[in-house]
Amino acid sequence: MDFSWSDQQRELLDAVSRFAKEQLDYDMIEADRNAVFNHEAWKKCGGFGIHGLPVSEEYGGLAQEPITTVAALERLGHACKDNGLLFSINAHMWTAIIPLVYNGTEAQKKKFLPGLCNGSLIGGNAMSEPNSGSDAFSLATIAVKKGAKYILNGSKIFVTNGPIADVLLVFAATDKAKGASGISAFLVEKDAPGLDASHKIEKMGVRTSPMSEVFFTDCEVPEENLLGKEGAGSWLFTRSMTWERGCILAAHVGTMQRLLERCIRYANERKQGGQPIGKFQQIAGKIVDMKMRIESSRHMLYQCAWASGHRKSVYLEAAMTKLQISDSWVKCCEDAIQIHGGYGYMVEYEVERELRDAIGSKLYSGTSEIQRNIIASLLGL
Amino acid sequence: MAETLVLIELDRQQVKRPSLHAITLARQLGGAYALLILGHGLDEVAASLISYGASAVIVADDSALAEPLADRYAAVIAEAIRQQGAKTLLGSSSTFSKDILPRVAALLDAPMLTDVLALEKSDGATTYRRPTNAGSMLATVQLEGDRRVLTARATAFEAPAADAAPCAIQQLKFDAGGLPNGMQFISREERVSDRPDLTEARVVVSGGRPLKDSEHFERLVGGLADALGGAVGATRAAVDAGMAPNDYQVGQTGKVVAPELYIAIGISGAIQHLAGIKDSRIIVAINKDPDAPIFEMATYGLVGDLHQIVPQLIESIRKG
Amino acid sequence: MKIVVPFKSVPDPYAGAGEAAKSVINPFDEIAIEEALRIRERGEASEVVGVTIGPAAIDEQIRSALAMGMNRAFRIDDARALDPYAVARILRVFIEKEAPQIVLMGKQAVDDDSNQVGQMLAGLLGWPQATFVSKIELIENNTRVQCARETDGGLEVITVTVPAVVTTDLRLNEPRYVSLPGLMKARKKPIEVLSCEQLGVSVQPMTKTLSTSRPPKRAGGTRVESVEELMVKLKQEAKVL
Repeated sequence: MDFSWSDQQRELLDAVSRFAKEQLDYDMIEADRNAVFNHEAWKKCGGFGIHGLPVSEEYGGLAQEPITTVAALERLGHACKDNGLLFSINAHMWTAIIPLVYNGTEAQKKKFLPGLCNGSLIGGNAMSEPNSGSDAFSLATIAVKKGAKYILNGSKIFVTNGPIADVLLVFAATDKAKGASGISAFLVEKDAPGLDASHKIEKMGVRTSPMSEVFFTDCEVPEENLLGKEGAGSWLFTRSMTWERGCILAAHVGTMQRLLERCIRYANERKQGGQPIGKFQQIAGKIVDMKMRIESSRHMLYQCAWASGHRKSVYLEAAMTKLQISDSWVKCCEDAIQIHGGYGYMVEYEVERELRDAIGSKLYSGTSEIQRNIIASLLGL
Repeated sequence: MAETLVLIELDRQQVKRPSLHAITLARQLGGAYALLILGHGLDEVAASLISYGASAVIVADDSALAEPLADRYAAVIAEAIRQQGAKTLLGSSSTFSKDILPRVAALLDAPMLTDVLALEKSDGATTYRRPTNAGSMLATVQLEGDRRVLTARATAFEAPAADAAPCAIQQLKFDAGGLPNGMQFISREERVSDRPDLTEARVVVSGGRPLKDSEHFERLVGGLADALGGAVGATRAAVDAGMAPNDYQVGQTGKVVAPELYIAIGISGAIQHLAGIKDSRIIVAINKDPDAPIFEMATYGLVGDLHQIVPQLIESIRKG
Repeated sequence: MKIVVPFKSVPDPYAGAGEAAKSVINPFDEIAIEEALRIRERGEASEVVGVTIGPAAIDEQIRSALAMGMNRAFRIDDARALDPYAVARILRVFIEKEAPQIVLMGKQAVDDDSNQVGQMLAGLLGWPQATFVSKIELIENNTRVQCARETDGGLEVITVTVPAVVTTDLRLNEPRYVSLPGLMKARKKPIEVLSCEQLGVSVQPMTKTLSTSRPPKRAGGTRVESVEELMVKLKQEAKVL
């Protein structure tokens, strides 16, 4: 097996690293404290070409294979400390762009994809509800067809990019009696009458990614904004969720790499008892464990992406990748704090924020428990 | 007739003292050397150069040369070389010499070396040492061909003694009307200052970006420089941020200085800056970050808040 | 108006210790490329052409330059260690063939730090030159270039008639980063390769580097704990006050 990058891939990845290092290395302490989304950085990423990496050129993308896409995101995550920005970009790519690519009509693709790919339009999705998180398909939000429109009523929670989205992919029940097979997906644009996405949710981490509760009160959605067929919602959701699980944490392999580098530098410089703390086995051991986790995560990430690019079904691999990276990320952050001692607990040192950001990864795109359930069932248990 | 011609730089008809250091390089090369000045109204300054042991002070004095336009100056210098039959043209590194001398080299079909630090002669061959890669490397170089152009880094050569018997002053004959006309001087910033020239001062006080703004920069960095009778320098970052004008910039792409005392305030010590200060006799670094690279090079390092320390230092110096 | 931007591939001056060696477009030349693109975007030039000298290994830098937005790029295939005068002589022949109105290039390469090629080129061509430029404006119907120059004495303003050689200083602009769409488009632009023979130029460098070494590291000093202690040391130990 040839694990090396082609010249073209290397050139692209180096361009991403350079872009991120020069344009996305900004002060994060205030932004995190005040939960401020960086619009400028979003626009730069869009103009640079991140959002549309896996989309065909016809719709404004760069037609990159999944393996190149995840490697590019990894490079982005290595240089960019704004995990909230990365989270918003990923939500936008996997929950809005990918469903459109797979299920959109020509008209829908032409209308939304170019703007979503260059970042001029912000996308998100609304699936979770106050009473349905892991129990994804028991939706209380209903969509009723009235003439040439659907009328939506209900509410959604944990909508990433909710407050800033131009278009949200909203899942609602068009036929409650059919359960999962009665769910449909709608492209709800921000000026839709009856849509209120303004109720911001303050989070523990990835605070610079805006999130809100979204309320639909007789919200009107034109019928041409139905994505896919009526009743195809859960199938559409599951399919794009596979992409999401395989890719959403790619950037954080890069984040972990950055943390590792920080910890190595610190362990070599910080002295206690007359020697660098890196000479103490307990510290060195933690750093080694970080390295092991990063390498395992990276290999799993790449293999899942490679397989996905070769038209293999990666339902199992995606769940494993998501579980592996999220677990590793949280553990690496815990280790990083220990290695930095008291300084790791200080806001100013920007180590504690990494842990706060990482914890969310065990919850979104399916909790770690859900991922384990999926893997267990696929192992025949 | 001299083998070597040394271009002396003038500023408003005064000699720029660092340019005299090229005479020391001429003396090391051996053989007769003549000094060359260009400009307008040069009688007095020419007279001030007669005791440097040159075979002659050659003067190109014409209103067409009132401003140092490279196309004209290069043509005249090339003509002086031809008339002298000189093989080597020297200058001291400065924006003036860097602008003009390479053009002369091309007119003479000669190679050129910038920022020569030292030369060595062995077995009839001469080698030169010069810095590359922001001064992180030194190259030992040999030149081929009949003629050569060199600029000397002034801080690497002593100021020459001016105790020789006086030499003649020669007016260079050249066709002023036939000089190129493609360049036109418009204006120059004239900033008058009581402070010594950055490249000539015994003490230099420099500031970096942590000085926040030009007001703080002038008050703290300028204040300390004035208390010590020194010059003011700045890092590239400080100039980029508008805290100091470009001619204060010290470093790889700014000025190289080697004062008796260099005080670096709020400067972390990026390699590009250190390239400009390495040969200072005493370096003092004041910085909040105990791990700043500059502390590896500083003779004395004081870790702390410059906004507290510098006013204390100024106070302490004024008290004597 | 056509602008030619000669540029050089150099080792990355900002590479961290321990990072793999990487080549980049010389930062000063990148500034020149950026300025040329802006002049074209203002409608004052129609074409920006790049040229560099080196072996195939530097094609990646050429693609970066094309990705920034250059129209065309040439590589003069020559793997020798050249000195500034050899570079200037080779470029002179290329420039005379391409016949641009402006040659815009970085004032110095950050590996060699010579700051000579632009001026030598201007001398060989017999063109006016504007060096260490921090502001450029085309005036009088694009027949003259007005430039602010960063000199030891401060800013100086001159004008030069076209055609001219202009060398850039750091504060002229901040170059755009290569975007991925730019990189994709650049892959469709060919890199035209010329040998010195095809150009009709044959030069030998006149500078030989015999050896390189690291300068002696300046010995570190001591930490002082207070202003008082510093004053004592400066007066008594260093004897500089």
